[in-house]
Amino acid sequence: MKLLLVEDDATTAAYVTRGLREEGHVVDHLTDGREALAQAMRAGYDVLIVDRMLPGLDGLSLVRALRSAKVTAPAIFLTAMGGVDDRIEGLRAGGDDYLVKPFAFGELSARVDVLGRRAAQPVVETVLKAGDLTMDLIARKVTRAGQDIDLLPREFTLLEHLMRRKGRVQTRTMLLESVWDLSFDPQTNVVETHISRLRAKVDKPFARELIRTVRGAGYKIED
Amino acid sequence: MVPRVFRVMSRSAGSTPVRQAMGLVVVFAVVNLVTLGFAYLSLRSSAEEAMRSNLVQLMAGFDAAASPGAAEVMVTAAAEAADPAHRVFAYIAPDGRVTGNADARLTADGVEIRPMPEGRPLGRDGYLPLIDRKAGGVLIIGESLTPIRELGRTFLGLLALSLVPTVLISLGLGAALAARARARVERIEQALGRLSEGALDTRIPAEPGRADDLARIGARINRMAEAQEAATEALKQVSADIAHDLKTPLQRMTVLLHDLREGLAPGGREAGLADRALAEAEGAVAVFQGLLRIAQIEGGGTRPPSVPVDLNALVASMAELYGPDAEEAGRALTLDLAPATLAVPGDKGLIGQALANLIENALRHTPDGTAISLRTAVDGGRPVIEIADRGHGIPEEEREKVLRRLYRLERSRTTPGHGLGLALVAATARLHGAELDLLDNAPGLKVRMAFPAGRDRGA
Repeated sequence: MKLLLVEDDATTAAYVTRGLREEGHVVDHLTDGREALAQAMRAGYDVLIVDRMLPGLDGLSLVRALRSAKVTAPAIFLTAMGGVDDRIEGLRAGGDDYLVKPFAFGELSARVDVLGRRAAQPVVETVLKAGDLTMDLIARKVTRAGQDIDLLPREFTLLEHLMRRKGRVQTRTMLLESVWDLSFDPQTNVVETHISRLRAKVDKPFARELIRTVRGAGYKIED
Repeated sequence: MVPRVFRVMSRSAGSTPVRQAMGLVVVFAVVNLVTLGFAYLSLRSSAEEAMRSNLVQLMAGFDAAASPGAAEVMVTAAAEAADPAHRVFAYIAPDGRVTGNADARLTADGVEIRPMPEGRPLGRDGYLPLIDRKAGGVLIIGESLTPIRELGRTFLGLLALSLVPTVLISLGLGAALAARARARVERIEQALGRLSEGALDTRIPAEPGRADDLARIGARINRMAEAQEAATEALKQVSADIAHDLKTPLQRMTVLLHDLREGLAPGGREAGLADRALAEAEGAVAVFQGLLRIAQIEGGGTRPPSVPVDLNALVASMAELYGPDAEEAGRALTLDLAPATLAVPGDKGLIGQALANLIENALRHTPDGTAISLRTAVDGGRPVIEIADRGHGIPEEEREKVLRRLYRLERSRTTPGHGLGLALVAATARLHGAELDLLDNAPGLKVRMAFPAGRDRGA
């Protein structure tokens, strides 16, 4: 994907740029809000990553200006503030997601991934596959290597969420938001417990592990 | 007009200016009545006095009559000159014969005056009589009471003329003033309501040219709101500055530690140290983030979005989310939901965070095998959430203190946590107008959050 990073802190910017490039994205980096506005209107980006506090033009105003200029590329805000109002303000200004500093790179990468794919039409699938694991969404049946796997409703939803995003990292916060419809920071690793229960049913009886833990980021399912 | 005035008055009966206006009308009416009454009574008694002395003089004129015959002649002369409607003369001779312009008869309690057969009619208002013995007979002279009755009628007219318009005007004026005062008081009440809900830019509309008490109160409230708004703005600015200046280095630190960690052989001592440093940095961020969030909620700048939050669904989700964790920790998490739908306008994220903090506390600070229960209910119309455990509980004298930021119980110092969980719960409760109680579950702790009953939205 072609990404624009607008961030005035050199260390953070270097870290984010390097990480995203390693994942195969094309990343342009700017530090000034005004320059970023001109650049974003000139070149078509898939996702914009915008710090809220910028010299020249602040992040909120930048995205607001882009939205009124009909630039629809999804934008994710990076911010030091994490209050309720700040989040709402960001979304109201036309932002699509919001990440509070300090963030782990994995979280940013996963969210950029989601935003970049949002534009693509979701394929209506009734059967999901990952390796020898099959999920029939209509019969609500999960089988692996011909064996039926009995899942609780929430385990089913969790596995479905991972399988629909095969190969893409899902962070704990993302899972909380989309599987449980909850948005808060748990102090404990609640999601971890659910994943390990799912693993006990889906992976443990079999030779190969399909649900992977991505260090410092989250989980993904692979073929 | 009058019924409308009364409607306005009765509708506004709860307002101070209306009650004052009504009171004034009553006082005015009573004063008017008393003054006119006294004037009437004194005028009447002096008129009667004048009549009586006139009668005495007239009576004296008949002293000259030496015999009944002479008296009859004099009375006849006087009677012919007088209209019996105004004044009557009647002489009852010793033989019972009555001479004069009216027929009179002595009774036990005075005299009865009747018209003479074929004589002229008498006055309708009665007579003030004077009775005296003259030349062996009895002479009765009566003065018609019509002037006195006229006086009474005049005073009644006067009373009606002065009182009715006054009362009507006072009522009308009072109602109008009261309605206006009421509208102004309502505007002030509405502005105060919005201010206390966190809309700090609310002002009471200025009323140029007015300097009465309500205008002064309004101006004062506006000044207070301005100060509050400035303070909140300053707090926001300071939090933003601190957040930016502290979080940027924290972000860099995390980045550097991640870089360091990547370069180290996994499982080694150095990798372990880097992991611990990362965990510490995360801890610092958590405390910082928590303090910032509580400060923002309590600063009054944050208003809960009034999106209805389904408490049953939220509590059920939380129970389901924490169920496996509780089980793993050897604790049974039970769920008991109210049959009714409990919708509370608020911020789902914040209420969820508060519940998570309470559940995590219950999991963290109770011995293995402790039962933990989540319950929703309706109590007196108020949606209630209860989280109870059967652990050690919190000593009575500590219950207030644990709601403070960074306060931790002595025995909890060794368990993980930053002492911000309950402070955030308290701030969230306050933001939603909910009552938060830490109760004795005998044994254990029961935390009860009672949300306001069907809030009068948009009041």
